Amino acid sequence: MEALNVPMADTPVVTFWEGEIVDIKNYTFFTGKWEAMPDDDIKHWTKFPSFAPFQSQVQADGGKSLDLSNYPFIFMRWKEQYFVNVGTDCGLTIAGFYYVCFSCADVTINGFYYDPNSSPFQKLELKSANEGKTGFSFSSYELQ
Amino acid sequence: MPTTASASFTSGADGGPTSLVARLSSGDPDVKLRALREVKNQIIGSKTKKLGYIKLGAVPRVASILSAAIADGDNVVVQSAAALGSFACGFDEGVQAVLAAGALPLLVRLLDHPDDKVVDVGARSLKMIYQSEFAPKYEILERKSLEFLVSLLNREGENVTELGASIIAHSCRTVEEQKTMLEAGVLKRLVSFLDGSVGQRDASLGSLAAAFRNNAEVITEFMGPHGGKPFNAIFRLTVDSNPKTRLLACQCLIVIRNATDCYVQELGFKRKLVTTLLELLDDPGQVGDECPFVLSSLVEGKEDLHKIALEADAMVKLRNCMDKENVNPRRLRGVLLALADLCSKLESCRSTFLSMKVLKPLTGFLNHKEEDIRIAACTCLKNVTRSVKNLCAGYFMKNEALVNALILLLTDASEEVQVAALGVVSNIVVDFTTHKSMFVAHEGMQQLFCLSKSMVPAVRSNALRALRNMTFLADDKCKEAIYLGMTPSLIANLIRDDELSVKEQALALVRNLVDGSVGSIEQVFADDSIILDAVGSQLQCCPNAEVLLQGIYVLGNIACGNEIHKEAVTCLLFPLAGRGPEPFFVNFLLSSDSRLRLATIWVLINLTLPSPGALKRQERLQNEGVLSIVRSMVNDPCLDVKIRVRTLLTQTEHFGDF
Repeated sequence: MEALNVPMADTPVVTFWEGEIVDIKNYTFFTGKWEAMPDDDIKHWTKFPSFAPFQSQVQADGGKSLDLSNYPFIFMRWKEQYFVNVGTDCGLTIAGFYYVCFSCADVTINGFYYDPNSSPFQKLELKSANEGKTGFSFSSYELQ
Repeated sequence: MPTTASASFTSGADGGPTSLVARLSSGDPDVKLRALREVKNQIIGSKTKKLGYIKLGAVPRVASILSAAIADGDNVVVQSAAALGSFACGFDEGVQAVLAAGALPLLVRLLDHPDDKVVDVGARSLKMIYQSEFAPKYEILERKSLEFLVSLLNREGENVTELGASIIAHSCRTVEEQKTMLEAGVLKRLVSFLDGSVGQRDASLGSLAAAFRNNAEVITEFMGPHGGKPFNAIFRLTVDSNPKTRLLACQCLIVIRNATDCYVQELGFKRKLVTTLLELLDDPGQVGDECPFVLSSLVEGKEDLHKIALEADAMVKLRNCMDKENVNPRRLRGVLLALADLCSKLESCRSTFLSMKVLKPLTGFLNHKEEDIRIAACTCLKNVTRSVKNLCAGYFMKNEALVNALILLLTDASEEVQVAALGVVSNIVVDFTTHKSMFVAHEGMQQLFCLSKSMVPAVRSNALRALRNMTFLADDKCKEAIYLGMTPSLIANLIRDDELSVKEQALALVRNLVDGSVGSIEQVFADDSIILDAVGSQLQCCPNAEVLLQGIYVLGNIACGNEIHKEAVTCLLFPLAGRGPEPFFVNFLLSSDSRLRLATIWVLINLTLPSPGALKRQERLQNEGVLSIVRSMVNDPCLDVKIRVRTLLTQTEHFGDF
């Protein structure tokens, strides 16, 4: 992730993050770590309109019988692991994590930052940027 | 001053080895017998002396002594047979010399000798031969051979029964041979040896492993009726006092586990195998040398076993083996390959391994004089560098010694080493930040250009993969350097290469090169569009889905450019006005491979996005029947395709209902 216009940094700040996709099988809507309690989870997920159809079931039994594979929204948690190009004194914090919702249809990402020691519900909004191109292009790599 | 080893072989009393070998052909039987005994005693446990006497022609002379002795009923039989067995014991060159001297049938004849001592020495010597991969294949399926083999297993005499088991371990390879062993009752007999002597147990374990390898049917048919007793008998031997027996028992259980899900699935069994093998790593002898290979066969490709091994501190133990001074190459190779297996899938294993400061010793092994070690070190590094977390941190690219050592290996005399090094380079150049400069400064890129022209397909495709990975989200400067170093003509030739893997990587490279600014797309039109023509030709005629996928993404990325670029793609898809699209294009839209369908829809999205010529292209798609095909995909079973079809139809909604 690259943050621009950071007051205390001379350059954009790049962080490395790892994500968990909520698929019920590997990861559920309940975080179970990073100081996030089930109440915190529900409070954040309900901020996404696309979560509404699942709310009651998740609150009842964790949503264990939900099938999200054909849902056009993907729920994730993103946890930043380290700063790539600056030190920890850049004025940004990576102590918390993001509740994230990706909309497949309009290719937008929305998120809310959670950290008990930071202001609640700080928003993350990302849109696809074509960087001057008239179209969507894709690079690829293949690890051996 | 002490003499050298070779000097001590050639000097000595009575004229030395040369004279001794000459005396093997003496007409005096006593002289001959004494010479035979002396040769036999000298070569026991010494590969140097075995090789020395082989080079002096001792083996054929001993074989001819045996031949004459059998014919004459001479008591020299035992000595000559024993000497041949000693030449063959644990020494492949010795086995080959004994076979070349025609001694095998002579030794087999001894098995029918009335004197048990002669039978025993013949069996022991044959066993030495059949423990080597150079022994001839025994035709298990041939009726008389099978009868003979079964008779060996049913005879008295441990060496004879061990010989039978060794033959099975060596020669039982095919499904038919394995089934024959089962049906002939051989497996039952082998299991009975598990309660026998050390030699019988070990030979039996080896032969059972051969009979079970990759054959679930034989295993379940055999184990089933016996209520799991054979399995328990093998498992008990994992705690035997003899390390070799423990190793062979583990190996046999691993063979069973890899063939079928019915056994060795409980966590307790798996943990037991892992801990037993890790303990055996401490064995200073051959058991310790072979142990890492057995561990690899247990954990290869299995995440659950990687976790168990990690919990059992396997990384630490293997790392300690790496550090030992004068570790023999076989063991070192096994350790590196076992570490490679453990790092192949889980980030937790890679992180643990990297935290043990391993890059320095691994870099050192890249310079090892043994080719196998260099390859094993590359294999280990290749799997470790799958760590996206550490790639993003530039952990590998910032290590100058490592980068330098890898670039050196790109010019290694061995092509296998080059391919192995390319595997590591391919990964570390996927650097999501900007640390490629060290690789470029050390002429790494130049080496990759050179290797992309190699006569060896694996080298070409791996070099291209490394270049492809290097251009992933790369800036224009990097891409220009590649166009300069490779030329459009070379790229086009690689796209048209005979090898599918080369085509695929060449197209993937072009895909990345054209993902960027308009300037980077322009290059594809250089030299009369030679690259674009090559892409088009592959899309028309290559049957391979991976190649086609890369090709269609090239078109999609070009279609992100200016009007000229979009029109070029349109012309490629619709070469003749009013005649419909190219057949390959329709095939991609209707492909059973959702990735091809998706990539093709992206091409259409990019061609019809609002731009000066978009409306004209949309009209063409409508008139040429493409939009009606797309409409039929509105409920595509693949969610990604369905969403993008709807995106496209929304973009082109002037042309019909959606």
